[in-house]
Amino acid sequence: MNEVVSTYNLSKKYGGEYRVKDVNLSVREGNIYGFLGPNGAGKTTTLKMILGLTKPTDGKVKVFGKVLEENREFILKQTGALIESPSYYGHLTGLENMRVVQRLRDLPDRNVVEALRIVRLEKQKDKKVSEYSLGMKQRLGIAMAIVSFPKLLILDEPTNGLDPAGIGEIRELIKSLPLQYGMTVLISSHLLSEIEQTATAVGIINNGVMMFQGSLEDLKKGKQPDILEKTGNNWLAQKLLTEKGYSPSVDGEFLVFRNLTDEQVPNVNRILTAGNIDVYRIEEQKKSLESIFLDMTGKESSL
Amino acid sequence: MKLVGIELYKLRRKHLFSMVMIFLLVEISWAFVVTARSVSGNSVYAGWKALIAMLSSMNGLFFPVLTAVCVSRICDMEHKGNTRKLLLAMSVKQNRLYAAKYASAAIVMFTAAVLQALAAAAFGITSAFERSVPLFLLFRFLTATIITNMIVAALQQWISMAVKNQAFALTFGMIGGFIGVVADLLPHNVRKVFIWSYYTGLSPVTQFYTGNHVIFSIRDTGSMVPVMTVLIIAGIVVYFAGSFHVSRQEL
Repeated sequence: MNEVVSTYNLSKKYGGEYRVKDVNLSVREGNIYGFLGPNGAGKTTTLKMILGLTKPTDGKVKVFGKVLEENREFILKQTGALIESPSYYGHLTGLENMRVVQRLRDLPDRNVVEALRIVRLEKQKDKKVSEYSLGMKQRLGIAMAIVSFPKLLILDEPTNGLDPAGIGEIRELIKSLPLQYGMTVLISSHLLSEIEQTATAVGIINNGVMMFQGSLEDLKKGKQPDILEKTGNNWLAQKLLTEKGYSPSVDGEFLVFRNLTDEQVPNVNRILTAGNIDVYRIEEQKKSLESIFLDMTGKESSL
Repeated sequence: MKLVGIELYKLRRKHLFSMVMIFLLVEISWAFVVTARSVSGNSVYAGWKALIAMLSSMNGLFFPVLTAVCVSRICDMEHKGNTRKLLLAMSVKQNRLYAAKYASAAIVMFTAAVLQALAAAAFGITSAFERSVPLFLLFRFLTATIITNMIVAALQQWISMAVKNQAFALTFGMIGGFIGVVADLLPHNVRKVFIWSYYTGLSPVTQFYTGNHVIFSIRDTGSMVPVMTVLIIAGIVVYFAGSFHVSRQEL
């Protein structure tokens, strides 16, 4: 698969401080790439640099294999985008907003009809956008992004302001785009659940630094499960094992071991039995994606 | 041209043209009433000159405000809907967007100036001023209004695009209107700095008082050309400075 978007040490400084630092992002053709990170992590700034809306302090952006700076027009003609909050002309109707994009991009009428149908705004198209709900404005923003049926679609937090049913619809829509229209989708979110259910590849950014990039399976595989042991005297057991070079922590009734190999598990058990400490239970606790994110970002699961 | 067409399309439901018409109607009605009164008490020969002098003077008050409102409406829709980034993400260049907006404002203000000149001609004919319509004088008046409008629009657009809060641009326009009215009372070296003073400063007819009488005289065309040239250059500089500044703003 070809790389549709690739960035090389992409960095952006604001007021002497890096908002994005050495980000090497790689989005492959036909993928739905989930760009995940907490609020203020640098997602929007990175996406803006990919679209040429913000000038990088350092680094390079390539889209469709071409350098952005030299081929901006060529690239943007084949790219649809929704950045931050949806953009719209409130005094115009939904259809008139679509007509603005249609005229700018020289598109046929059928594209407008189809895009409005996809986001289910056909019945509301003649209403002024200032009278739309936030969810409807978000849908219109998506319709304006997909109206040209671009090769690359960049959506920045597209489900913001949508109700659960709306989030589900948009999720299904995004999932269908690569198959039905051959689009590559780059979608950013701070919601783990959203990315988990739509993305085929993920990038995790925190404090402007890329923490992980790859498939969700790789992300899960990369983290060893924790080993939990319940003993007759956790306090004594912790003291004894610390003396032997282990570093368990106490979590409720359990001693928790991180990064323990298979060979080390019976050894720990032997030390405890030799120390006359009863071992009631040994469990393996596989890490959920949520806890992996927590480990990476040190923030809450709604990142 | 495509972008200008889109800008005009985006002005739908903004009621911009009706607002301009109402504004213009108020201004010319006022000017015509005052001129009709002054002409009835003086020689009919002063009719056209009095009318043009009165309109120039009124333009100093009305056109800076009208230009500020028009330009603000044209620019504000991008701020309100956060649409600049939408347009730029569709490969629209910042300087072209700026140019399209300026062209739209110019079309509106040009139309207003032409309509005003036509209304003045119609008023002169219906008021049976003794001389026939002085076409060249009206043309000079129209040119002066358009040139001053274009520079004021360039300045207003810079502010309206650079500062999101349009109250700032509108206040600036109102201050311009005030300066446009009082400009004739300022010393020559001071007034020439303010672009709003050129509605009367470039007017082909000038007026001065001798006792209780107003004397109207026609300015020499040749003497106005260097002033107009300097103003056009100043307008170009203001336009490109604004375009450069706004294009470099981070979105």
